[in-house]
Amino acid sequence: MSQQGMLYGGDEIGALVFDPGHHSLRVGYAQEDTPKAEIPAVVGVAPDDSQKMEPEVKVEGSNITQSPSAWKYYIDTTYLHTPRPNMELHSYMKDGMIENWDLFEKVLDYSYEKIIQSESEYHPVLFSESPWNQRQKREKLTELMFEKYKVPAFFLVKNAALAAFANGRSTALVIDSGAIHTSAVPVLDGYVISNAVVKAPLGGDYLILRSREMLESLGVDLTPTPLIANKEIVRDKEKPKYTKKNLSFNPANSWMVYMVKKTVQDFQHSVLQVSETPYDERIAAGVPTVHYEFPTGYHQDFGPERFKLAEGLFDHAMLGAGYLAATSAGMCDVDVRPALYSSVVLTGGNSLVQGFSERLSKDLSSRTPGSMRLKMIAANGTVERRFGAWVGGSILASIGTFQQMWISMQEYQESGKAQIDRKCP
Amino acid sequence: MADVRDIMELEQPATPEITRESIIGSDKLKKRTFTTTKVSRRPEGMHREVFALLYNDNKDAPALFPSDTSNGYKQTKIKLGMRKPRKWEWIPFTNPARTDGAVFYHWRRPSDGPKEYPFAKFNKKIEVPTYTDAIYQQHLQSEDWTKEETDHLMDLAQRFDLRFIIMSDRYDTEKFSKRSVEDLKDRYHKVCGTLAKISGEKKVYHYDADHERRRKEQLKRLYDRTPEQIEEEQSLLNELKKIEARKKERERKTQDLQKLISQADNQGDSLRKSDKKLPKKKLANPARPSRVDTSHILQAVETAGIKFPDYKNSGVSLRSQRMKLPANVGQKKSKGIEQMLQEMELELNPTPTEEICLNFNELRSDMVLHMELKAALATCEFELQSLRHQYEALNPGKSLAIPPQLLSSTTEQDGTKLIGNAEIIDVVGSPGTPSGSGT
Repeated sequence: MSQQGMLYGGDEIGALVFDPGHHSLRVGYAQEDTPKAEIPAVVGVAPDDSQKMEPEVKVEGSNITQSPSAWKYYIDTTYLHTPRPNMELHSYMKDGMIENWDLFEKVLDYSYEKIIQSESEYHPVLFSESPWNQRQKREKLTELMFEKYKVPAFFLVKNAALAAFANGRSTALVIDSGAIHTSAVPVLDGYVISNAVVKAPLGGDYLILRSREMLESLGVDLTPTPLIANKEIVRDKEKPKYTKKNLSFNPANSWMVYMVKKTVQDFQHSVLQVSETPYDERIAAGVPTVHYEFPTGYHQDFGPERFKLAEGLFDHAMLGAGYLAATSAGMCDVDVRPALYSSVVLTGGNSLVQGFSERLSKDLSSRTPGSMRLKMIAANGTVERRFGAWVGGSILASIGTFQQMWISMQEYQESGKAQIDRKCP
Repeated sequence: MADVRDIMELEQPATPEITRESIIGSDKLKKRTFTTTKVSRRPEGMHREVFALLYNDNKDAPALFPSDTSNGYKQTKIKLGMRKPRKWEWIPFTNPARTDGAVFYHWRRPSDGPKEYPFAKFNKKIEVPTYTDAIYQQHLQSEDWTKEETDHLMDLAQRFDLRFIIMSDRYDTEKFSKRSVEDLKDRYHKVCGTLAKISGEKKVYHYDADHERRRKEQLKRLYDRTPEQIEEEQSLLNELKKIEARKKERERKTQDLQKLISQADNQGDSLRKSDKKLPKKKLANPARPSRVDTSHILQAVETAGIKFPDYKNSGVSLRSQRMKLPANVGQKKSKGIEQMLQEMELELNPTPTEEICLNFNELRSDMVLHMELKAALATCEFELQSLRHQYEALNPGKSLAIPPQLLSSTTEQDGTKLIGNAEIIDVVGSPGTPSGSGT
């Protein structure tokens, strides 16, 4: 009974888990089942008015316009969704990797201050990374965490491996459909087989883009909610009657794009559906329509379009998720293929599009060798699917046997950042 | 549990089962003494259940009406504050599995005392053999492996615990050329084997890379089959099965015919004429297209006559018992026998003298044989007809001339048909047999 706390092999040491993605950064304590916060992966940058007032006169002569202290950063949904003069939005991610380190630092500062509300030197940190992360970026992140945040220990794991852990597997073929791409990553005993990673640039953003094109061609007004003061009830397909908020300025273009994207994203989440078989106009026409109301008050029924838009994820011969999975498994050693096929893990927020998992399992089973046993594992809950990698990290960082894996501050001081490649395979 | 103990007539355990009191720790001692003194012995001969009803612990008569007033969930409210809770503290610890002695913190009860980190024992490392430069120069030289690359391989083996697939994935392809999993395994096991030999180990394992490569190639081909190929293979297998089943069927058929013939031979002279038909049919068989399934004919002919059980050993019995049809004679057959007996104007139950018994049984056995043969004939004829139709369908304009002697008019009455059969067979040619002497 004395080892009660270690009954299930868990030993919590107050670690934090960060799971950066294109859509958002997930932050929270290890051993919890959901992240504490999901922070959008964009940062609003606007000139700082409060300081600008005084130096304005001086600056005139010295011709300095981009002094870093003169910028204000807006992070997290509430701040981002408010229109502000001259606020431009920037994403710090590129191709699944952290690109803009300055902005990312701001977001980390924000997470420690507002979400964790604790000092960074007390908490070991586990970061997730994309399977194709570059060595130089891994080292940079290690350096950042140890040098700036003084974390006592740090570890870096591929998000596919974490997603597999979250689904109770150490060997799996992880199909991760995220915001900007869908990837198939084979994981063997917790190690990613990096030469067999296959990805396609079809993700949630692609669906949003297609939906936006479709809605614009229909002439739907996509004014986002923050710009609408009030609206009236109108009839189906009738021109919306609403009044715009009275703003003294024009919001920046990047902000408008982002907000329209959010608007369309909501449309995409509630309307789109992947048909179980390749798209067929007649079948799609027979399925009940879905009603959707836009922020402007305009509303209408959507029928076959729902399937036609979502079909974009699958109708490519080379980019469909089923093809990716089959290709990825085909690049692995023959001996591991049965193990991979028998646990295909589906994760990522975009996999929550209605009918995604059914279609994928159908596609995949048509590509699976006949004698192979195919089993698809897709967590039912929205949280488990969206935050798959984070949940896996939360599990991993709170396991007793994992505590020997951390790169500690001592080790970092002795051997420097280059050891990350050896310590975190 | 208590009930089981009761049934087994075991003594109550000295310590009572875990109860609320034992956990919370209130008035524990008092309760125990109370329960132990209360138990009284069951009188000899009284049923356990009755005793339990009358003398349960509190000697209360069982309630007629379920009343749940005091012993519900209400009372299970824990009386807190009986004992001080043990403290948990955020305590620093070092993990002996780590080499750097890093200090982490976790929640622990200080009362548990400092112990070695419980998960350190799971820290298992694989033993990868090492070698010195001299040993390498002396024993481990290889044509296509440099020392540097071998070092890299051994390093990977250590890092990834001999997961060769991962090792080949993480292989430094910038410095060295790409190598397959088998190459790595081959080299690794060769190095291990050589080192083991040097250290005097007798049993050295060998790795057959070529065999592995062939196996994997084979496996790959197995997985790469297209659905059509799999289907074809399956259908071929099914065909093979069918062919084998047919072969077996044919063998069985000839055997059965042989049996029937020998049986008919034993039945006596009266049936000799019908024997002639059977060998002839057998001769005709191989000429027929093998596609035609003849199993149904055989089933009809399979059994011949009635086997009456012997009454030799049993004690006293009525002789009429011997005339009883055995149970395995089906209703259809017994009906047929009855009908034939009526046609012959014979009694259904003749007086069972010794002689009548014998002859009557023999007669009925012959009748059954006769019926079976007739059925076989009918099926053969049906088949002949269907074959003729097939032939005509395949060769339009032609018609298959069936020798008249092979045809027996099925429309004929039962009685005359038998004679007809005999005549036909006679014509076919069995010079030794006089015609018409039969039934």
